[in-house]
Amino acid sequence: GLIFLFYLVFYGFLAALFTFTMWVMLQTLSNDVPKYRDRISSPGLMISPKPDTALEFYFNKSDSQSYSEYVTTLQNFLESYNDSKQLQNIDCARGKIFDQSDAAVKKACRFNINELGQCSGKEDKNFGYSKGAPCVLVKMNRVIGLKPEGEPHIECTAKEEGMVNINYFPSNGAMDLMYFPYYGKSLHAHYLQPLVAVQLAITPNGTKEEIAIECKILGSPNLKNQDDRDKFLGRIAFKVQMLE
Amino acid sequence: GLSSARAAEILARDGPNALTPPKATPEIVKFLRQMIGGFSILLWIGAGFSWISFGIQLAQGTDSAFDNLYLGVVLALVVILTGIFAYYQEAKSTNIMASFSKMIPQQALVLRDAEKKELPADQLVVGDIVEIKGGDRIPADIRLIFTQGCKVDNSSLTGESEPQSRSCDFTHENPLETRNIAFYSTTCVEGTATGIVINTGDRTIIGRIASLASGVGNEKTPIAIEIEHFVWLVAGVAVSIGVLFFIISVSMRYRILDSIIFLIGIIVANVPEGLLATVTVSLSLTAKRMAKKNCLVKNLEAVETLGSTSIICSDKTGTLTQNRMTVAHLWFDNQIYSADTSEDQTTQPFDQSSPSWTALSKIVTLCNRAEFRPGQENLPIMKRVVVGDASETALLKFSEVILGDVMSIRAQNKKVAEIPFNSTNKFQLSIHETADPHDKRFLLVMKGAPERILERCSTIMINGKEEPLDSEKAEAFQTAYMELGGMGERVLGFCHLYLPENEFPETFQFDTDSMNFPTSNLCFVGLLSMIDPPRSTVPDAVSKCRSAGIKVIMVTGDHPITAKAIAKSVGIISATSETVEDIAKRLNIPVEQVNRREATAAVVNGMELKDMSSEQLDSILREHAEIVFARTSPQQKLIIVEGCQRQGAVVAVTGDGVNDSPALKKADIGIAMGIAGSDAAKNAADMVLLDDNFASIVTGVEEGRLIFDNLKKTIAYTLTKNIAELCPFLIYIIASIPMPIGTITILFIDLGTDIIPSVALAYEKAESDIMNRRPRNKRKDRLVNHQLAVYSYLQIGIMQSVGAFVTYFTVYAEQGFLPSTLLGVRVHWESAASNDFEDSYGQQWTYYQRMYLQWTGYTAFFVSITIQQVADLIIRKTRRNSIFQQGLFRNKVIWVGIFSQIGIAAILTYGLGHVTALNFTPLRFQYWFVAVPFAILIWVYDEIRKLLIRRYPGSWWDKNMYY
Repeated sequence: GLIFLFYLVFYGFLAALFTFTMWVMLQTLSNDVPKYRDRISSPGLMISPKPDTALEFYFNKSDSQSYSEYVTTLQNFLESYNDSKQLQNIDCARGKIFDQSDAAVKKACRFNINELGQCSGKEDKNFGYSKGAPCVLVKMNRVIGLKPEGEPHIECTAKEEGMVNINYFPSNGAMDLMYFPYYGKSLHAHYLQPLVAVQLAITPNGTKEEIAIECKILGSPNLKNQDDRDKFLGRIAFKVQMLE
Repeated sequence: GLSSARAAEILARDGPNALTPPKATPEIVKFLRQMIGGFSILLWIGAGFSWISFGIQLAQGTDSAFDNLYLGVVLALVVILTGIFAYYQEAKSTNIMASFSKMIPQQALVLRDAEKKELPADQLVVGDIVEIKGGDRIPADIRLIFTQGCKVDNSSLTGESEPQSRSCDFTHENPLETRNIAFYSTTCVEGTATGIVINTGDRTIIGRIASLASGVGNEKTPIAIEIEHFVWLVAGVAVSIGVLFFIISVSMRYRILDSIIFLIGIIVANVPEGLLATVTVSLSLTAKRMAKKNCLVKNLEAVETLGSTSIICSDKTGTLTQNRMTVAHLWFDNQIYSADTSEDQTTQPFDQSSPSWTALSKIVTLCNRAEFRPGQENLPIMKRVVVGDASETALLKFSEVILGDVMSIRAQNKKVAEIPFNSTNKFQLSIHETADPHDKRFLLVMKGAPERILERCSTIMINGKEEPLDSEKAEAFQTAYMELGGMGERVLGFCHLYLPENEFPETFQFDTDSMNFPTSNLCFVGLLSMIDPPRSTVPDAVSKCRSAGIKVIMVTGDHPITAKAIAKSVGIISATSETVEDIAKRLNIPVEQVNRREATAAVVNGMELKDMSSEQLDSILREHAEIVFARTSPQQKLIIVEGCQRQGAVVAVTGDGVNDSPALKKADIGIAMGIAGSDAAKNAADMVLLDDNFASIVTGVEEGRLIFDNLKKTIAYTLTKNIAELCPFLIYIIASIPMPIGTITILFIDLGTDIIPSVALAYEKAESDIMNRRPRNKRKDRLVNHQLAVYSYLQIGIMQSVGAFVTYFTVYAEQGFLPSTLLGVRVHWESAASNDFEDSYGQQWTYYQRMYLQWTGYTAFFVSITIQQVADLIIRKTRRNSIFQQGLFRNKVIWVGIFSQIGIAAILTYGLGHVTALNFTPLRFQYWFVAVPFAILIWVYDEIRKLLIRRYPGSWWDKNMYY
């Protein structure tokens, strides 16, 4: 009985102490910006849709069932880029870093979904999957305070030539500087990260083949795209295999 | 003698003349035993699981498959390395012993090819003719064909301490009794002899006994039992938590493979990989310390056995006593004087002014055949080697101490005739010229059994004057004789006579055969009594044993009276206690009527012991606190040891003879004498007492008790952090947070930072006088009792875990992952395909960025455990006393431990922080201090615990919190 009581008190005390120290520790943190950002000094790249199995797209262009998941994902993803969702966003000056560190309320720059062209889902509800030219959205990870230098753009290459023709939306796969820097979830609630759509027009040669594609961020000296250990730092590799 | 060729033939047939050493366990078996003993089997299982999951993952093509392969290899390496280490330690301590027994190769003087040759004794064969002389060890069983004053010391064989004379006559059917056989490994004390070898090697009497002894099984040492108990406990906890969480994780729909990996982690976290090595090192440190104090430990585990000893059965001669006859008392002028019997006497303090003493000293000096071996002038008198029997040696040394150069006195008083001592006369007589050139008289001096000497006297010297020996004076003599004899001392009477010059002119030819001189009507001068006195350190040691709750039982082949006298003088029988016989004498009633319970002491004769049933022996051992066994044979020693063990005691037994070896083996700890001990005894023993001194045993006991306490501390220290290593896994499984600590990291704690500190605890001084408490009860006082486990696991361990988790959460929170974000993220967090993992601030992380953060978490967790282990180390210095009572700085090795701990942690973090495989990252400096408040809390909490224990002994707190 007594021993039970003892441990009740003892663990109660420890739990209280734990809670208290955690509370104290959390008090030292800012709500807006994490204390340290050194672990993510350079952003990673990611694509949407993201297949469940290790970044391999596998579909049959004549079987809508086989790619419906990708299409749905893209639709859902682009939902937040709809004009109706961007009413409070402003049109920013292109080609310039949009520094608002002095502003109390950080504005988000509008990303016009039409810039994604054929991959916007407006003209082609199937994002090219039914035509054998699937769209993949490439995005760069949000990192607070990141100000890319130069003219960052996405460039994708297929491992083997002649299997696929790659188109970029916006053209050249450019990521406009006006979308940077990011100020964090709480200050920058409506922020939308810029997207680059990559349309992979698979040639008859490439049909049925497994095509390895690597996309990189180029044109910016402070965005790394070559790290031995981190294969997603400024680059991303995925595979596409299309059947007929 | 034999021809060399014939001897070689026989040698080929019979084998060398040496005892077959006890069958040694093959080295490979010993090695394998280390490889699978203790926790190794658990770690092998862990390694096996690692390889299985590696195989499965490889087949599935998972990227991180090789992590498991490496983990398995590391685990296997850990087992192999700790196994090699333990094996090496064991081999080292065995080697000490092996070198010890090989120290002196024995030589024998053999007649071969009609030539005398020195041969190694193991080359002897049956039929060889060997010559022996005083001081030699008998090289084989031999039948004597020529002897001259040959005496042998058979004590190692039969336990009889008196040298026995040997002749060529066949006197008894029993080879052990007959006089014409000398036995292998006994020593020839004096004289010379020639004999024919009749038995060699294992066929000798000694060889047969030795092979009997090896039949007595080796019992497990108490510490081995304790360690086994502890291993079972920890392994039990490891396996049950492992299985429990395996089931939990399977039922939480984790994949089987993941569950297996969790299981490995739980096992590794639970098993204190470095602990058994640490225990071995601690024991061997103590063994080294004991060797410095003259206790050479053959078997490391015996170190602790000595500490838990509750009964010591000690030999008398040589162990409790100095093993040399020394003059203890004198009686002249109607008065008893005491002589100094200490080991290093240089003067004798008693009153030497009486002319009677002058006369007595002259007889003592002259009527003595013993001589110092030449060339020892620089040695202290007591250390010099003497040729002669024990009592003559005592007398020679005694007179040398008082009078100075005895040999020149003898030269001045030239000996003209002599009758040596023989058992029919029971006296020794010699006739000398006097030193005074003007005194032409001869001096006849005589010594012998007092009653025989007195018979021959008509006068007695009182204060230098001869007075008639009337009945009153004879009565005084009797009283003195009885008193000295009652003290267990060997008494000699001395008398003299100046032969009248007219009857015995200078030219007189003395004839010792016809005895043409008076041997009666002599003048009685005095008595001298001798005893083998106790070593001066022994009484103190015995009283230490008494306060330490250790019963000291004397087992001796000597006469009960002598045994009792020595027992009384060293305190084995205390001054106030009485035996049944004493009570009977005091109350003047027959022995049968005495209430046995009143007698605290008992002197048991070997003859009585022979007829006793084991129940009777048990009741004696139970009822009497102070026991002396006298006139016992070495065989009876075994019976006594078994009796003591039936009482549940941990028994230490000393022995030197070959016949002692069964008892030495049977005892929980057999202690052989390093100087007087036979090889067989040393082989059978667990420990060798280099100085043959009982007091060294007591120092050993103290060290043994200390190491038991310190091992408790080491284990408590080591077990504590297991919880801090285990909790991360459990919480990881249940709350699905990112893994707080890696398996490899755990190994770096267990085998890296923690090793030196846990060894450092072996240097801790005792908290209180450990010799003032009772020996531990081997059934109740466990090395790892449940208080220790509970306090380490459920209190300090949990506190450490809390401290480490606070650091862990701090690291994550300051990088952007608030604690709330971390719950339940495991699958997504660990998915290599997920490279836009969002933190609490909306930032997105790649897989590698997360893994790097996770390793930072490992490092932070590791550093926190290390920091809190510093506090743990400090609190473990004592179990009851405040650290401030013990002194923070008295044990310098603890500080070496603390600095090594922090140093190793710093090297791992900053030096190896870039080696990905080790999963360490350079850590921000401030994270070293997050756990410091918890470390301080641990210290304060433990001080409070100790304070309450000291303040309220016997309370609920004391019972539950004292380990």
